[in-house]
Amino acid sequence: MATLEATDVPTAGASLPDFTCANYKDAYSRINAIVIEGEQEAHDNYISIGTLLPDQADELTKLARMEMKHMKGFTACANNLGVTADMAFAKEFFAPLHGNFQKALAEGKVPTCLLIQALLIEAFAISAYHIYIPVADPFARKITEGVVKDEYTHLNYGEVWLKANLDNCREELEEANRENLPLIRRMLDQVAGDAAVLHMDKEDLIEDFLIAYQEALTEIGFSTREIARMAAAALVG
Amino acid sequence: MFGLIGHSSSFAQAQEKARDLGLEEMAEADLLSWCSAPPQLLETFEVTSKTGATIQGTYIDSCFVPEMLSRFKTATRKVQNAMELAQKNGINVTALGGFTSIIFENYDLSKFQQIRNTTLEWERFTTGNTHTAWVICQQVETNAPLLGIDLSQAKVAVVGATGDIGSAVCRWLSQKTGVGELLLVARQQQRLTDLQESLGGGRILTLEEALPEADVVVWVASLPQTLTIDQGSLRKPCLMIDGGYPKNLDAKVAGEGVHVLKGGIVEFWQDISWQMMEVVEMENPKRQLFACFAEAMLLEFEGIHTNFSWGRNRISIANMELIGEASLRHGFRAIGLNQSPTSSGNPDLELAAA
Repeated sequence: MATLEATDVPTAGASLPDFTCANYKDAYSRINAIVIEGEQEAHDNYISIGTLLPDQADELTKLARMEMKHMKGFTACANNLGVTADMAFAKEFFAPLHGNFQKALAEGKVPTCLLIQALLIEAFAISAYHIYIPVADPFARKITEGVVKDEYTHLNYGEVWLKANLDNCREELEEANRENLPLIRRMLDQVAGDAAVLHMDKEDLIEDFLIAYQEALTEIGFSTREIARMAAAALVG
Repeated sequence: MFGLIGHSSSFAQAQEKARDLGLEEMAEADLLSWCSAPPQLLETFEVTSKTGATIQGTYIDSCFVPEMLSRFKTATRKVQNAMELAQKNGINVTALGGFTSIIFENYDLSKFQQIRNTTLEWERFTTGNTHTAWVICQQVETNAPLLGIDLSQAKVAVVGATGDIGSAVCRWLSQKTGVGELLLVARQQQRLTDLQESLGGGRILTLEEALPEADVVVWVASLPQTLTIDQGSLRKPCLMIDGGYPKNLDAKVAGEGVHVLKGGIVEFWQDISWQMMEVVEMENPKRQLFACFAEAMLLEFEGIHTNFSWGRNRISIANMELIGEASLRHGFRAIGLNQSPTSSGNPDLELAAA
């Protein structure tokens, strides 16, 4: 059997960053802002989707409320570390995706709205939170562990609706995937440096995001080949 | 349902495969991008045993390529994520093919059972090493006599003797086959001494000492690219079973009485309706496959839903016999000299087959 000689074998378990150093706080101010903005946008997006699906507005309002709770939790995380979230950065960070969502909303495209919010953003959040938890400070760790469980519910909401309506929206979803998946990839690239300071690896983030996204596409009813083709769009930025 | 976790044998080949599957973006993407590519469940197919039983199988490509070996985190993630995908698809038993089990074993991934929200259930996986070891032993027993080598008098060197497959092969050859003498070659002296003690025999040698003495050489260690073998110093005839991964022995030594056989490869009794074996360059990809993959099929045929081959040096003769009997019953046979995947264009092997 071969003996493998990798260059980056860790000598111990995952090491924790120094949460108090200026470099960490600086990176955290942007990552935390993204999370806060993401939860705020998620709230707004679920309320907006409710206007397109009035019979589901109650359910969507419940989801939106959970997002607000998350937002408050993550705001507390920043306060705990004595960090001010860089919200201007976060707004700009989400702008392209926000724009695409607003456009789809104006055109009444429920599948596109759900793909952006309930699949892409939720899968992005779930994967990032999973990777963050082992390297988070104890306060943020507890909060994030609670949040990640909720996010699966939201992913599930999108899956259920899209699965039930797949026959009518397959083409729209494929197009929405083509337009929005590369944006997620670019967003991940954009924060890779800050994420690394928090000991979150870009490769992990992208692969875990794609796994969560592919699982959602499987659940909706796409074939394995279709999913491979759709996910491949993320590999080129 | 059984599963196979495999990967391409090089990055260039992975890109080519991606193009064949219509994944243009992946075919164009660079190695760094592939490092973030998630595992893909590429194919499901049916396999029908000689007994008439039919089972369902699935092929998962981990998107690992050997060029990633120097990146511990990447290689580890590929293996763990492919295993998670297999489990999430409810596959009863999945074989870890190619580098997958080597990475798992070498990086001791049994310490990491939790992958995101999934707890990996080890009983759903097998390295397939028991079947591989049995097949290699069959290849020795069947092909050495074809070259005029009398195994009861022969010296058989096992390179990588202390590994999981190597130690099993040593046990079988000494207890079941009864070879003239076992020459034990491996890097770690203590393990070699322990093995020698447990076998109650065998001679510990360096590779350089063992090769000129050996009538049969079983390679179950991967060969460093830099390894050079003095063809002139080898015995003639000499049977070499290339049971390592990747299989790169042929180019180094074949010819002039030295017969190289790809080790641990089996052929099924009828075509299997899959495409994935084409990428590992089998001569007959509809029927030939790695014995470790075949083990997952055998365990599914037999309803043995447990991690049959797992951990290091736990392969028993009894389990080799069990999987060997199942192998024959369901229609597998070890490939021999006259049907080696390397035989085309190799006059030496064609001569041997004649």
